Amino acid sequence: MAVYEHTYKPYAGKLTPEWSRFLIIPRHAYKDIFRSKLFTGFFALCFVGPLIFAIMIYLHHNINALLMLELRVRDLVPINAEFFQIFISIQGGLGFLLTVIIGPTLISRDLANNGLPLYLCRPFSRAEYVIGKMSVLMILISSITWVPGLLLFLFQSYLEGAGWFGNNLRIAVAIFLLSWVWIIILALLSVTISAWVKWRMAASAALFGLFMITNAMGIIINELFRTWIGSIISLSILMQTISDGLFGLRDSFDMDLNEYMIAPVWSAWMAFGLICALCLFLLTRKVRAYEVVR
Amino acid sequence: MSSSADAQFVEHASDKLPWSLWMRQIAAILRLEVKKNFLGRRAILIYLLALAPVLLMAAMAATAGGEISRHSGLAIIIFANIFEGFILRTVVFFGCAWIFMNLFRGEVVDKSLHYYFLAPVRREVLVTGKYLSGLLTSIFLFAGSTVGALFFFYLALGQSANSNYTFNGLGLGHSVSYISITVLACVGYGAVFLVVGLFFRNPMIPAIIIYGWEFINFLLPPVLKKISIIHYLRSLSPVPIPEGPYALIAEPTPAWLSVPGLLILTSLVIVIASLQIRRMEIKYGGE
Repeated sequence: MAVYEHTYKPYAGKLTPEWSRFLIIPRHAYKDIFRSKLFTGFFALCFVGPLIFAIMIYLHHNINALLMLELRVRDLVPINAEFFQIFISIQGGLGFLLTVIIGPTLISRDLANNGLPLYLCRPFSRAEYVIGKMSVLMILISSITWVPGLLLFLFQSYLEGAGWFGNNLRIAVAIFLLSWVWIIILALLSVTISAWVKWRMAASAALFGLFMITNAMGIIINELFRTWIGSIISLSILMQTISDGLFGLRDSFDMDLNEYMIAPVWSAWMAFGLICALCLFLLTRKVRAYEVVR
Repeated sequence: MSSSADAQFVEHASDKLPWSLWMRQIAAILRLEVKKNFLGRRAILIYLLALAPVLLMAAMAATAGGEISRHSGLAIIIFANIFEGFILRTVVFFGCAWIFMNLFRGEVVDKSLHYYFLAPVRREVLVTGKYLSGLLTSIFLFAGSTVGALFFFYLALGQSANSNYTFNGLGLGHSVSYISITVLACVGYGAVFLVVGLFFRNPMIPAIIIYGWEFINFLLPPVLKKISIIHYLRSLSPVPIPEGPYALIAEPTPAWLSVPGLLILTSLVIVIASLQIRRMEIKYGGE
């Protein structure tokens, strides 16, 4: 073909639907993440918990297995709200570790290597970019929290009989909502830190330290000033308060919190909203194709 | 004749280790690194961390001073809890992790480690110089933080209770113990995190494992308790704190064993770091 015939022609192939464009980011991110055998091993380990919990549910309904193991039903852990709350807490903890491992590099690499314009020069908005980056974590954490949680709930409903599902629908809602609260806070914090702290180690340390240091500070503030303000400063206690509210339990982890230390559930939700708003504000400040330095 | 004398001199000189040169090199590295540790952008986080207990105690002195002076016995136990739970396990642990991991990992990120490696300095000397600079920074900041927290604690006790407790009671001894424990914590955690920063490209994962190990120390059997730093530091605490109903009780290690034990562990860890750095190659591209 002659050179003068090389004129501009728009792409004529099939376009990705607009709503699912953000999924391009996780698709490529997973290729990179699962290249590490160590990470793949850790991710596989995250499914040991659901397996153990499923066995515990199964044992409740299998008299032959109980007889073989010489166990009585009352020796087993009861299948109730607390059972599912513990499950989500364990899986949430693993989700936190997943976030510490993969979260810090999500945006920092693009910013450090001036790669953001390459995304944003395409039909891809800033919001889609952020949602795409967050969905790397959201999909992974979902697969170890509410997805197996709800499967366990359905498994228990199936074995227990029709009435149980209807009577305990609140547990299913709590599993779903609590998992999403946890996923949103982890994904938002991690993406925000990743955008502001370009060095991977510092970003991981900031994410880890944020949970541990605020936890210690919260407890000390509660003890010193006999208040519940520390409970909403500490991200761990904040999550526990939301969890207790959703599952309808009180000081469920036996942290021996004094009455004055238990924060009202509304304050925990408000603090959660504030953290999300702050993260979104910081993200909009940082995620730009070009940074104007005055 | 003269050439053989020269040869003998060179032979003799090479037998003797050049300690004075090494000392001068360590001092030079120390000067450079201390400046970086205190004035660099990365120091801001550490200042905030070190300030946190002082601010907390100041706020306590301002709001609950009267109550503290009335229940001074209880206040001493509360301070012991704050010291162990917040200052030692949180501020000093994370602060040391940050300072000491940055010593080498920070240079790799800044792509400046090769300047040190190209200079005619033995790598062991570099490790020692950097460790001492981290130690100096951490001791200054965290022992200072402990002193600040103690100051506001004594302020809250009130003048009469304060002078009584400090000079006629155990107060002075307790204060010295708290400051010494902070210094030992910097020595111990510093050495551990220096090695972690050298061995691992992403040192956060081992740091989390170390944190977890130190955190569950109360659950460990006595033999395993001894493979941790917090066990030795707890043993030195002037006010023993109960570890809770699930704890496995172990005899505290006496001070005459704890202190040299920590120092020996630190020396050992620095020797390992020195051996490791001799084989270290810089790959900036991987960061």
